[in-house]
Amino acid sequence: MAELSRREMLIGTAVGGGAITLMLAGPVVGFLLSPLFTKRRTETAVIGPIDSVPVNTPTPFIARLNEGDGWNIGPIPRVVYVVKYQQVVGPGQPPPTLLVFSNTCTHMQCDVHWDGTFVGAGDPVLNGRFICPCHGGLYLMNGTNIYGPPPSPLPQWVHEVFTGEDGKTYVRIQNDFTEKI
Amino acid sequence: MVEATKVKLRPLYQWLDDRMGISALMNSALHEAVPEQGGWAYTLGSATLILIALQIVTGIFLTMMYVPSFHESYQSLHYLQTNDLFGAWVRGMHLWGSYTLMLVIGLHMIRTFMTASYKRPRELNWVSGALLFFVVLGLAITGAMLPGDQAAYWTMTVVTNIPHYIPFIGDYIRWLWRGGKFIGPITFTRTYGIHIWLLPPMLLGLIGLHLYLLRRHGEFGAWVNYDTEGPDPDREIAARIAKVEPPYPSRDVDPKFAAPNRTVDFFPNQVFKDTLVSLLLVAVVFVMALLMGAPLDGPANPATLTYVPTPEWFYLPLDQLLVLGPQTWLIAFVVFVIPGITATLFILLPFIDRSPERNPLRRAHIIVPGLFVIFMMVTLSVLGINRLYNL
Ligand code: HEM
Ligand code: FES
Repeated sequence: MAELSRREMLIGTAVGGGAITLMLAGPVVGFLLSPLFTKRRTETAVIGPIDSVPVNTPTPFIARLNEGDGWNIGPIPRVVYVVKYQQVVGPGQPPPTLLVFSNTCTHMQCDVHWDGTFVGAGDPVLNGRFICPCHGGLYLMNGTNIYGPPPSPLPQWVHEVFTGEDGKTYVRIQNDFTEKI
Repeated sequence: MVEATKVKLRPLYQWLDDRMGISALMNSALHEAVPEQGGWAYTLGSATLILIALQIVTGIFLTMMYVPSFHESYQSLHYLQTNDLFGAWVRGMHLWGSYTLMLVIGLHMIRTFMTASYKRPRELNWVSGALLFFVVLGLAITGAMLPGDQAAYWTMTVVTNIPHYIPFIGDYIRWLWRGGKFIGPITFTRTYGIHIWLLPPMLLGLIGLHLYLLRRHGEFGAWVNYDTEGPDPDREIAARIAKVEPPYPSRDVDPKFAAPNRTVDFFPNQVFKDTLVSLLLVAVVFVMALLMGAPLDGPANPATLTYVPTPEWFYLPLDQLLVLGPQTWLIAFVVFVIPGITATLFILLPFIDRSPERNPLRRAHIIVPGLFVIFMMVTLSVLGINRLYNL
């Protein structure tokens, strides 16, 4: 074997060591990053009928939704708050808007729950609060974050409303929110 | 009988010693000078080490039953709690071991802070220790995420959501940790991998470094070991350095602090104290594990309308900061900027406090901010407990 100079030896070792590192790091880093490039499965679940949900009263339903990431671990229960929201109640008003909330707090994603006991000053939207037990965030029935740490309104599920064979109204929930939180 | 044993064991020991150098190893491990005064305060480091060993042993046995999966994590631990004869006890020891460990590592830190043991040439003892502290915190928080009960599920949800507030890349980090949008199967396997395979080897590596540095520079101890008594301090210090045993005199330091005025042998003096303190702490863990065990709530339920998540006690200060910092930018500020600056100053302490002064009473500019940080932690925890108590 021909004499290696010190310089050649060092360069050779560095290149070889670098190649070993890359061959280890490439697949491993790619493996770790792969969830970013994996498409979520679209999963749906039906809740309802919602015909008997009263106006301006958030009503919880449980949707059994498959998780869309990773392998299928079966349906996971998720809360869907159905709100028939009507800003001004009375004759001659437009029909209520249907809001389909998740109970996921936009702060750190704890589960909020509806507490209807709080009575607002005349304005129906001020009655009751969604309360987050984690850091005391509060939301109105239309999802507006009004108090505490939550940075944005309560998220809504991606959904579609349809009439079932029995003539009643149902909602199909998809495993995603309309807004990023 | 005694004679007979001697006859049999001596040659066997000799044989082994010739091949393995046991005596030489024991000599170099045990025959070390340590400062004479304050030995009880210096037991905290070895107690931390013993508690970490306890975590590793109990953890290894937990892996023999625990399954890192969305549903089976709970089921496997429920089985362990109810059907395995000693399962609840082992799990209890892992939990109480972690609590005790955090308490003791905190005390060890406070003592080396107070005695300014981190000064030249022991800066890296501190830096490696500070990094160890963060690894231990990481182990505690990932561990709390694993049981698959309600408490663990909501800890998992909140903790994996925190990266969301890092500008620009936060959502990617959250997605990668969870392996998806919500908590799912991959969240469990990843968090488990971090808890048992990523962090413990880092812990062991850093402990190796920490102890190597300890042996290289010798135990500093505290300022009380470096006073001079006679009228001629220089002469006294020179005499001290001349007759001291290894690992002293310490390198690259003001001669006054190169060697303690009086030393004792690590074995048996310090070893005895170390053993006693570790024994006491392990006994506490052993008994608490039996009496209190580790709690297991109902299984994780992402659709709860009643459950009130409460953070682990060591997580309370950060949780209370979250309450105090509403809305996006303030959240980023309280969860990253404030703890980040505090953590950086904490790691870099030896390069900030560089005077030769070791007496805490004469280092008010360092001790007072340090006490302030501790005070803030306690205050935030008290506020947090008060808030959770009133829910
Ligand atoms: C896994 C965690 C740790 C282990 C196993 C450990 C172990 C030890 C041991 C056995 C000693 C010698 C005995 C003593 O002085 O108590 C020591 C000394 C020391 N430790 Fe730690 N330690 C840990 C964490 C820390 C932390 C979190 C800090 C500070 C941020 C720290 C800073 C120091 C310093 C500065 C010394 C030198 C003390 C002196 O020479 O007076 N260590 N450590
Ligand atoms: S998670 Fe809802 S307020 Fe923090």
